[in-house]
Amino acid sequence: MILWILLALLTAIVAAALLYPLYRRAEALAPDNAGEVEVYRDQMKELDRDRAGGLISAEEAEYARAEIGRRLLAAAGKQTESAADAEKASGLRKMAIGIVTVAPPAIGLCLYIMLGSPGLPDQPLEARLANPGNDMSLLVAKAERHLAQNPNDGSGWDILAPIYFRTARLGDAELAYRNAIRLIGPSAARLSGLGETLVVANDGIVTEDARSAFEEAARLEPGDVRARFYVGVAQEQAGQAAQAKATFEDIAKASPPDAPWMGLINEHIAKNGGTAAASSAQPSALGSPSAEDVAAAEDMSDGDRQEMIRGMVDTLAARLEAEPKNIEGWLRLVRSYMVLGDREKAQAALNTGLGHFPADGNEGRQLAALAREIGLSATGAGKAEAPETAPQGAAPQGVTQ
Amino acid sequence: MIVEIGHFALVLALATAIIVSVLPVVGAYRRDASMMAVGTTGSLVMFGLVALSFASLTWAYVVSDFSVKNVWENSHSLMPMIYKYSGVWGNHEGSMMLWLLILVFFSALVAVFGRNIPDTLKANVLAVQAWISLAFLLFILLTSNPFTRLDPAPAEGQDLNPILQDFGLAIHPPLLYLGYVGFSVCFSFAVAALMEGRIDAAWARWVRPWTLAAWTFLTAGIAMGSYWAYYELGWGGWWFWDPVENASFMPWLAGTALLHSALVMEKREALKIWTVLLAIMTFSLSLLGTFLVRSGVLTSVHAFATDPSRGIFILCILAIFIGGAFMLFAWRAPTLKAGGLFAPISREGSLVLNNLILTVSTATVLTGTLYPLVLETLTGEKISVGAPFFNMTFGLLMLPLLIAAPFGPLLAWKRADLVGAFQRVWVFAGLALLIGLVLWYMQNGGPVLALFGLALGCWGMLGAVADLWYRGNFGKLPVMTSLRRLKGLPRSAWGTAIAHFGLGVTVIGIVAASAFSTEHVVEMKQGQTAQSGGYSLTFDGFREAVGPNFTEERGHFTVSSGGVAVADVWSSKRLYTARRMPTTEAGILTFGLSQLYVSLGDPMDGGGIVVRIWWKPLILCIWGGCLIMMIGGFVSLSDRRLRVGAPSRKAKPVKAVMEPAE
Repeated sequence: MILWILLALLTAIVAAALLYPLYRRAEALAPDNAGEVEVYRDQMKELDRDRAGGLISAEEAEYARAEIGRRLLAAAGKQTESAADAEKASGLRKMAIGIVTVAPPAIGLCLYIMLGSPGLPDQPLEARLANPGNDMSLLVAKAERHLAQNPNDGSGWDILAPIYFRTARLGDAELAYRNAIRLIGPSAARLSGLGETLVVANDGIVTEDARSAFEEAARLEPGDVRARFYVGVAQEQAGQAAQAKATFEDIAKASPPDAPWMGLINEHIAKNGGTAAASSAQPSALGSPSAEDVAAAEDMSDGDRQEMIRGMVDTLAARLEAEPKNIEGWLRLVRSYMVLGDREKAQAALNTGLGHFPADGNEGRQLAALAREIGLSATGAGKAEAPETAPQGAAPQGVTQ
Repeated sequence: MIVEIGHFALVLALATAIIVSVLPVVGAYRRDASMMAVGTTGSLVMFGLVALSFASLTWAYVVSDFSVKNVWENSHSLMPMIYKYSGVWGNHEGSMMLWLLILVFFSALVAVFGRNIPDTLKANVLAVQAWISLAFLLFILLTSNPFTRLDPAPAEGQDLNPILQDFGLAIHPPLLYLGYVGFSVCFSFAVAALMEGRIDAAWARWVRPWTLAAWTFLTAGIAMGSYWAYYELGWGGWWFWDPVENASFMPWLAGTALLHSALVMEKREALKIWTVLLAIMTFSLSLLGTFLVRSGVLTSVHAFATDPSRGIFILCILAIFIGGAFMLFAWRAPTLKAGGLFAPISREGSLVLNNLILTVSTATVLTGTLYPLVLETLTGEKISVGAPFFNMTFGLLMLPLLIAAPFGPLLAWKRADLVGAFQRVWVFAGLALLIGLVLWYMQNGGPVLALFGLALGCWGMLGAVADLWYRGNFGKLPVMTSLRRLKGLPRSAWGTAIAHFGLGVTVIGIVAASAFSTEHVVEMKQGQTAQSGGYSLTFDGFREAVGPNFTEERGHFTVSSGGVAVADVWSSKRLYTARRMPTTEAGILTFGLSQLYVSLGDPMDGGGIVVRIWWKPLILCIWGGCLIMMIGGFVSLSDRRLRVGAPSRKAKPVKAVMEPAE
């Protein structure tokens, strides 16, 4: 309300200021030539000064004097047109007054209501930080400020790290985990958190760094399913199928049969040549790295999860643009788009992929087969049954805290 | 609430601009004093509203109100306070706000100080200014609104581009815009004069202070931008012939031409049509520069955001104003009377030469800037027109200009004696050659052409001295008398001499920095030493440091001469945490007018780091000369001729003014 009063006041001031000259008693017009005459007279004076100072010769001065004199005469002799007819002027002025009265409020209000946000109060950061309420991002900002002042507060980093991870600020998450480990020592949770951050940052590859973090975590706390799972994945990615199988089977043995992560474990056991323990597992639709991604995405809200998956898919797409001769990548990209429910992009990716491989080659056939499988057309858009949904139930529930 | 008031004030400014666009023109046509007066009040109101709006945006930056999208995108709560202020215009929306603020500021100045201008001319000028304001207000509100809000508000901003987090941002854009936009007043004067169909010597005098002010600020703005790029970007260059630089340089060249041709018009009433055309061209080039930089046609540090709709909008503004003004010119110019006659060898003649060269070089720069864009649009072929093209064409064009510049002020109006002028300055020309030679020997072994260049620079400086020398009539009169005469010289004569002197200084800087600078790229490990410019630099290693919103690795170098440590210099690599963006901070040491420039490159395997070391002799002359030119501009601006007293409202009887003509 105060805002509207102030806006009205501002409008009134503007209108009043603009109306003032129109209501003021009409001032006599200065003759048009007055300014001009003044200028030429000044030029004359300057000429005299220059002459007196000896800057120009007498002859030059005479020429110039004659010239300026001619200009002066012409300017002075100019007829000043008479001012407007008083009657006509008053009619015109009434119209002007009308315009000036109506335009500011009308234009101002219309445009402002279209463009402005009158309902939003100012939100200076200090005031918000003083009273953050439940706003997670503000709490994070507050913690960040605290840590900027006290960079050696290990528990602060420890609290921030998983939050960073969940909001996909992977670089910050890695830094926070490393700081926490450096300052208050390693723990299974911190080490697996660090490992997982590294895995997600590397598109699902369990790097050497990540693997040693997981191994250390599993050593510190043998019951840490997440750490052991990733050790298994690392072995699997390194081509050590037998060891991977053993690791996954160990996890399966140690877990209750109805544990939510059993589906994923069984899938990996099967992949490494073992027999899955009985369970109603859904296969992961995102392909190999999805296991890790989904594990990471588990704690996120649906929106965040979608965004993270989308981010990873975009990375993949960008990489493929740079190095298109990667059939695995194309297959994964097309599948991913289908999982995200984006048929058009899936079709586009498929077409682009087909463009990079001859249709009768091995890769071309693979792509065509995929297209048939998920109901895309290998030449254009085709009809298909609904794509598989993201395997939410397949993720290891609760392993990521 | 403060933000919303600012937004509303901007909208009200638009409404006011509409009123000021129309009423004064009608008033001038109908000779209605009240309606013309709306132009004066309205311009002041507009300035007040835009200033209020700008202040509220600044407030949002200062208190880090991230519910304002523009603040969230370009600020960070931990940024030092000065960058929160300067960050207001360190982005597209904010920089357009600054553009607008300065535009309405100039309108307000015309409204306040334009008392000596005839009422109708002033009303029309203010209306034309309001047209331009209206166009930019619409542009800001419809395509680049800085007051767009975010709900819920983010907790932290995305930080200002680290390259812009520098003191230069606080100075360079305002100065540059004062120059760019200042030429809008000349444009408005030209259009208003064409509308009235009347133009004479007095017009030139009314426009002169505005041209002079705009030119002075533009000189300072370009020089500041060049120095900023020099120390911040870390590649040791001070001018790149980058399209964005050219965009600011073209109005400067045209504006310089305008400044000189307006002189002829004021004194002799010649070159009237040409001067009007130049006034239109200069501001058109400013608009073109704004379009090139703001539309995203060019990618550079200045192109904050690219959005095609903005580009099209600015293109429309460009087409309407430039096209409209030229159409008006084509329609009205033939009705203007031509002015006085003069011989080729005369002050006027030399100023025509100046104009000829300056406009041709403007055209050259314009071609070099636009050709690659046009070619890419038409054929898709990407070429880049770089320094070699400009150095060949532009450099060659400047040569006769620099030779002729010192002669100009020595020539008499109307008809002059070139031989006489030669006789007067040959001593100075000889002296210039001699000093050039000495400088060359001191630097020892530059290209032979550089000798010529240095002499040319000295010629510019000494020519200015010669001008003062002969005006004071030194040598013929007692020294005290001459000094008194010098003191009595009009300020504009002093301004001319000072500015021409500054030009000479800049030329020397450019020649020396291009011909004699040395560059060493070495890999250094801790404790190693490199040589440059007669100094040896020892790399003492790195130290970590933490800034308010960045972390940096600072490399320390000890500089010694002849085994004695004379100075030390830091050069660092910074990482701005919010954007994860690295920057290089060059270490610069000044010795007299020369500089040692140390910039860190990439670290190498084995602990070394690539270090680039430049020795740049006399480089400070480049910007020092610009500073002197600027001072010349201000001195000239303070000339009492420019403060012609306002005619009193009760006009004096006509016969009184005829007496001096007897």
